[in-house]
Amino acid sequence: MSTHVRAFASVETPVDRAAVPGFVESDFNPMVHDVASACLAGQDFDGDRLAVVLASLMGDATTTDLASTLLAAGQVHNPLLFMQATANSILGYVSREFDITGPLISLSSTDHELFAVADLVLTDPDLDAVLTISVELSPNPRTAQAYRMLGASPPERDVATAFLLERATEDM
Amino acid sequence: MADDVVVTGFGAHTAFGRGARPIREGVFAGVPAFAPTTRFDTTPYRTPMAAAAPGQPVLRDVLFDCANDAVSMAGLRSGDDAAVLLGTAGDWTRITGFWRTGEAGELADSVPAHLADALADRLGLCGVRLAFTNACVASSTAIIHGWRLISAGHVATAVCAGTYLVEEENFAKFDSGRAFSHDGAVRPFSGDRSGLLLGDGTAVVVLESAESAKRRGVRALARMTGWGVASDAYHIAKPHPRGRGVVAATRQALRRAGVTGVDYVNAHGTGTPINDSAETTGLRSVLGSSIAVSSTKSTTGHMLEGSGAVEFVISVLALTDGVIPPTAGFQLADPLCDLDYVTDGPREADLARVLTLNAAFGGMNTAILLERA
Repeated sequence: MSTHVRAFASVETPVDRAAVPGFVESDFNPMVHDVASACLAGQDFDGDRLAVVLASLMGDATTTDLASTLLAAGQVHNPLLFMQATANSILGYVSREFDITGPLISLSSTDHELFAVADLVLTDPDLDAVLTISVELSPNPRTAQAYRMLGASPPERDVATAFLLERATEDM
Repeated sequence: MADDVVVTGFGAHTAFGRGARPIREGVFAGVPAFAPTTRFDTTPYRTPMAAAAPGQPVLRDVLFDCANDAVSMAGLRSGDDAAVLLGTAGDWTRITGFWRTGEAGELADSVPAHLADALADRLGLCGVRLAFTNACVASSTAIIHGWRLISAGHVATAVCAGTYLVEEENFAKFDSGRAFSHDGAVRPFSGDRSGLLLGDGTAVVVLESAESAKRRGVRALARMTGWGVASDAYHIAKPHPRGRGVVAATRQALRRAGVTGVDYVNAHGTGTPINDSAETTGLRSVLGSSIAVSSTKSTTGHMLEGSGAVEFVISVLALTDGVIPPTAGFQLADPLCDLDYVTDGPREADLARVLTLNAAFGGMNTAILLERA
């Protein structure tokens, strides 16, 4: 099966961007929202035939480590951090905005694995398209240490990229 | 049509212990595992209760033990070509340790992808390795992806897993979100339900093409004949009140399996007021009002990323044993929850088909349909 890129978007920090209501502190969620919206806005698609696959090796470490440092300091958690503790939340926000009722999948992985998963998901005859989102934040002290232990290179700045992929016409 | 996908092995850890026997003696007997946890100081929180196994188990060790049980049962060997698909958020205790004491020795285990790699390396399996991180549907998503890989002919075998152990990071978050039960019990579908409690849950299942299992002479424990995945497109943290995603995922699973009904549903059933009524509404609209439904989270607690895999194992045991595990803690009828919730203890039943449901933040829903082998 071959795929066709219908839309593409990328964003890096620092950038001026609107906050996403209900999401605080971390750039992870606004960046996901930015690239997803840029790919989906104005596109004609059937929400129950669209999947979203998000990949991030380290995930939203800003939220994770802010919550953990509050815990270490004996401070009360901010309930908003609970609400945005997983990438599910921003995917749920995007799904509501664009009425996407197909599969929402998130991975801890590299881009190579992301596209392999997207390709396989798109073999499902119930689906026409898949939105891939890769997002990685620049390292904090914990993720910098984890990157070193994994022998991987961290990104120099926050970066998010999205592709709206659809089955090529000859496959439809 | 794609080759059948069958289940040829499993391993599990819950608060009741390791393996199938503790699940039969705890979950299937309807005995809740909740007690004040001693893994960390619970003084700052509204409840000390969780379903945690004794001591301070290490997530990686528990996962490896369950995986060894599963691959031994399935007769897999080091060097075999099999995918390893893990639902996890990583080992949270490593993050806590880093920020509390600067301890970084096993910090790599806080990265889900690393745990999936470590698991595959430990088992010596050659094949794609992936970590799924979508919270409470992470391991059901891993299992469904295993089905996809096998059905597409990419692999003959997929080792699919999910893991979560009770720890303080998520305990604090759920406490801050006021999601915990007020009375130390999880009472799914009961009129006095007030929330969830967390629980240990790790399970590893081996999925395999029926042809491969037959060729290897391995017994199929159950067949995975259908699945569905759908999102509510409704709210980041609340389920759709009429169970939009539950309905869509269940219908997909039935259609893929080519059936119109099931004999038992292992529900998501968190014991939160809003989930259980929404799930009931969705299930009733697809499967009717006489369907037998239970929530085993009433005994295990909510196992987050481990839920889908552990409840998959519970559903396999229900099929093989011919027993529906009960909903524990039910005290009071709720007009919004009007199905048969199996509240009077375990029920013997001639089960041919079982559906297991999971849901997660973001409005994600999965349904997996298992049939007797």
